[in-house]
Amino acid sequence: MLSTRVIACLDVHNGRTVKGINFINLKDAGDPVEQAKQYSTIGADEICFLDISATYEKRRAMFNVISKTAETCFVPLTVGGGVNDLSDFRDLLNSGADKVSINSSAVYNPKLIKQSSDKFGNQCVVLAIDAIENISMPSGYEVTTHGGRKKTNIDALKWAKQGVRNGAGEILLTSMKSDGTKKGYNLKLTNLISKNVPIPVIASGGAGSPKDMVEVVLKAGASAVLAASIFHYGIHTIKSVKNEMSKNGIFVRDCEN
Amino acid sequence: MNLVIIDYGSGNLRSVENAFRNSVKINKLNFTIQVTNELELISKADHLVLPGVGSFPDCKKGLEDVKGLVKLLTNEVINKRKKFLGICVGMQLMVDFSLEKQRTEGFFWLDGYFKKIVQKGVDYLGRDYKIPHMGWNNLQFEYKHPILENITENEQFYFVHSFALESKNTNQIIAYTNYNQKIPAIIGKDNYIGVQFHPEKSSNSGQKFIYNWLKWCP
Repeated sequence: MLSTRVIACLDVHNGRTVKGINFINLKDAGDPVEQAKQYSTIGADEICFLDISATYEKRRAMFNVISKTAETCFVPLTVGGGVNDLSDFRDLLNSGADKVSINSSAVYNPKLIKQSSDKFGNQCVVLAIDAIENISMPSGYEVTTHGGRKKTNIDALKWAKQGVRNGAGEILLTSMKSDGTKKGYNLKLTNLISKNVPIPVIASGGAGSPKDMVEVVLKAGASAVLAASIFHYGIHTIKSVKNEMSKNGIFVRDCEN
Repeated sequence: MNLVIIDYGSGNLRSVENAFRNSVKINKLNFTIQVTNELELISKADHLVLPGVGSFPDCKKGLEDVKGLVKLLTNEVINKRKKFLGICVGMQLMVDFSLEKQRTEGFFWLDGYFKKIVQKGVDYLGRDYKIPHMGWNNLQFEYKHPILENITENEQFYFVHSFALESKNTNQIIAYTNYNQKIPAIIGKDNYIGVQFHPEKSSNSGQKFIYNWLKWCP
């Protein structure tokens, strides 16, 4: 039976892992290469690097970090941030990334999803959607870019469906309102997108406890759950999250394998 | 022993190379590993690995762009009986054809073709079955095989694919996975094996599989 994935996310800035409340007030939480290795050893099903300031500062993702991580980390590795064109895609994949997530660049260059999925396959194109409540949107959610700093006037559900048509293999859905709050995922948003697209949806933003992970799977149909800070500071471990999920009838991969 | 990972401009070559290098190092095996598309090196190799991510037609085209490679592979694997591992699209290429985008011929080493997975219904939690089949899943073994040594049916491997093998020839299926339907996960015959999952991304279980394949003497 297919496991529900638990994904550890590392927000990376200048080669160091950081995570702040709503992406502001960043705290240094260590070396991403070591952390990724640690996570894969203790049972994370995937690792995700997001270069959170990359677009804003027009920096490229750190190929060195990826390449070092890929040498010792034998679980899928997703990298996002600062991906502007096909050559960025190729550079990240060649460094050792398995999937590339695109967000702002897909909004400003919608052809990038199609071009990249045609070129590298839809399995490696992750459409990252940072959504925020907006009652004037048909679905009630609007797509934002640049770590939530810019609004786009694009409806989140429409954007998700368009992403699927253009060849995205997966959606990484972050609720910007919940992100960093540790008060739980946005169930309504996750359910809305998950029910209406045929590809896997990763819930992101707001995980504060293993119970939040259980809830977003059982109540909102998430295919995978992603979290950053709750793992970094040792508040909860991958194992405690998986135990809680398993106790609630969600099939997960054994941390020992 | 000399292992060649075939580079034809497709695939997550680095990940495959890293995972094989790790296995060789950890298990202190006497293997050299080369990543190349040079026909001479491929024909000198003892063992061959064909990775593949992306679409079937793109991977086939990538192979065909290296002049003489497809013909050489068939000669090395079928006639010279070199040990071979096809991973994901590399596995899909081993059969007759795939219907991804358009009908594209494979190597004809094994019987059958790849068809898009169609899913109906919901899973045990009421969720729709999403395509691609993406994530960690178990294997059900059809028979005992050296490449499954020390691996149990409780262990999981990382899959990401939207097409599955259709074949009447069930003798060539070594293991299935289950995603609302039985999907061939390991296929093979004699000296050649293909896996739908990614052993290079399947953590400890993947490392066990790679080690088993490396020491397998068909």
